[in-house]
Amino acid sequence: MASRWADDEADKAEALRRKQDKEEKKRLKLQKQQQAGEAARAAKEASERPAKRRRLSNSEDATTEDTARTPKDPEKERKLLRFEGGRWAPCHHRSNFETLNHIEEGSYGWVSRAKDIATSQVVALKKVKMDYNQDGFPITALREIAILQKARHPNIVDLKEVVSGDTTEECVLVMEFLEHDLKTLQEDMHDPFVASEVKTLLRQLAGGVAFLHDNYIMHRDLKTSNILLNNRGQLKLADFGMARYIPPPSAPLTQLVVTLWYRAPELLLGTPNYGTEVDMWSMGCVMGELLLKTPVLPGTNEVDQLSRIFSLCGLPEEKSWPGFWRLPNAPSLKLPRGQRNKQSFDRTRFPFLSGAGVELLSSLLSLNPDDRPTAKAVLEHDYFREQPKPKPSEMFPTFPSKAGQEKRRKQSPHAPKRGDAPGLGKVDFSSIFSAQEEGEKGAGFMLKMA
Amino acid sequence: MQPSPLANPLAAVAQLETSGSRLDGIPQDLEDSVRYAGARLTQAAGVLLRLPQEVIAQAIIVFMRFWVGAEGGSLAEFGAGQVSASSLCLVTKLSAYPKSARSLVNVYAYLDAFPLPPMHTEPKEGKAEMYYVSEGTYERRRASLFETEQRILKTLGFQVQANLPYTLCITYMQALDVFTHPRVSELAKRAIAHLNTALLSPQLLYLTHQPPSLAIAAIYLAAREAGIKLPEAEWWEVFDTDREELGFLCVGFLSTEGFAEQEKERWAGRRVPLTVEEVNAEIKRRNEESDA
Repeated sequence: MASRWADDEADKAEALRRKQDKEEKKRLKLQKQQQAGEAARAAKEASERPAKRRRLSNSEDATTEDTARTPKDPEKERKLLRFEGGRWAPCHHRSNFETLNHIEEGSYGWVSRAKDIATSQVVALKKVKMDYNQDGFPITALREIAILQKARHPNIVDLKEVVSGDTTEECVLVMEFLEHDLKTLQEDMHDPFVASEVKTLLRQLAGGVAFLHDNYIMHRDLKTSNILLNNRGQLKLADFGMARYIPPPSAPLTQLVVTLWYRAPELLLGTPNYGTEVDMWSMGCVMGELLLKTPVLPGTNEVDQLSRIFSLCGLPEEKSWPGFWRLPNAPSLKLPRGQRNKQSFDRTRFPFLSGAGVELLSSLLSLNPDDRPTAKAVLEHDYFREQPKPKPSEMFPTFPSKAGQEKRRKQSPHAPKRGDAPGLGKVDFSSIFSAQEEGEKGAGFMLKMA
Repeated sequence: MQPSPLANPLAAVAQLETSGSRLDGIPQDLEDSVRYAGARLTQAAGVLLRLPQEVIAQAIIVFMRFWVGAEGGSLAEFGAGQVSASSLCLVTKLSAYPKSARSLVNVYAYLDAFPLPPMHTEPKEGKAEMYYVSEGTYERRRASLFETEQRILKTLGFQVQANLPYTLCITYMQALDVFTHPRVSELAKRAIAHLNTALLSPQLLYLTHQPPSLAIAAIYLAAREAGIKLPEAEWWEVFDTDREELGFLCVGFLSTEGFAEQEKERWAGRRVPLTVEEVNAEIKRRNEESDA
């Protein structure tokens, strides 16, 4: 018996029939297209004539109405793009929500978990602190609300509404509730996230930040405790208390932004104008923290912070960072000179990171802000394409939620308070590498894992 | 559906049917007059504070939004002058040009010294004491500035942002390729002027129409007035506005001038009431007039 798959007469006949079928269909289609084209042309011709008379003018030709005009105009069919802008209505009252438990005290408000009584939906409530009433409604809260209203993105926490309390002063932001923040979560985990999980998290983080920067928003306080994660592996940026729109070039920016451990070197050196690059530095710090399960640059003060930065990322030089010495706080630094300058990123701290990973991390942690990649460039980075691939969000492990049950411990320093940025004073960094250099002399080789 | 950040929240039909003031028995024509005067006051204060027109326009939109609807603010409770100052305070905070409470209080005190707000003339020479704000007065005014700011925020449910038609207007003119025309600057100036006029419209055009439609109506009218030819085709549909809306907006834009003339006549030699007391006095006066 011939094979089931052998070519025989019947098959040939069938093939021929199919070919004819196809040709017939093609012919019909062509015919249809021609007909449609003719109809469209006819419609256009028909519509062009009345269009002239339908001008919005009270000149003479418009007053002589065309009585023969057909009531059903084909042009009315044209679809116009409409965007729904919503409505406004007074704030609801806080009593529509039942508080379940307190979560934490953020940089400018108290956060608690609550339930919408009408829908039983669990939400996060953030009560605005009205501490300094010198300037009326706190500008930070106003900015956070304004920015969250505009920034609708899967990786940015959703502001549902703003509700008022019993006093005129009280004001509460109602946001979607996410089970974890990355800081508390990492504190409770035994092992750091595996490489594929770090990629999933980092890609979502870069996605959210890219959206913000595309919309001229700087977050200015990216850190693990402001990055939320739900039990479906979705990451969302939160706490926009420091965020603002990129102002016109003439308007001044405050230097006192970003929590110390995540603060970019140009801010520490007192630059008067900075941009979205400060968020990219913070993203680098977060990436390092996800890999190590511990903050990468936990400085105790501004000076210690700079010294930690220089020992991880190398020393700034006029060549690698033009204009560095002209920054306000730079002249007071005494950097080790003359010696073999430590230029490169200290990759020994990230022994398990691949070459592409180190490349990404070190570029995010470039001292010169101009050398840092944009959030969009991060999304395109090879690091996300090489093995292991980012773990799909649905496959992300789940963890017990601290926010759902108990008060959190708070160890990282707070975002800076409003006020003048302190200068650094005279600082001597000449000896930051001395200990390491001794070590290098002793051991002749070092094991590198890449 | 999630509202688009490209569009502005608009007043609902129910909100346009009534207002807090009307429910408190304030005649509609008086409310229209006060709103118009308040918007002009905001514009004047914004100019004195050297704010860009975008910021001033946003403040006027917030000011207008505040009074709309049954749950909106009532002139029996809020003075239009106060709401104007607080709207400006609120909007400047969100802009790149924050102004101190002191500047705001000073500017509004200065404008109040004009014999007839909205002002037509300079205040008389040597009357600086008329608009001097003592420390005690300043403290009180600052407190009410912030109190009203809170009330505006709560009344609007924190919807204090507004997209504006100014840049769209320029972009559309570029798209229509009129910038090669020798008199294009006249066209652009007229279009922008129409947009500024529409801010004061008693028909609340900025609360009922999206910025693209406003920009189109302004260009359409400006082109007709300047005698500059635009494409014969229904070009407004390219920018997502239908003919009916364009027609309505053109009528609205053009009627604002008549309304302004009428207001000038009506209030000739009298102050438009911009505080709660002045509004009450005006209503009392009207009642006495009708009794007599």
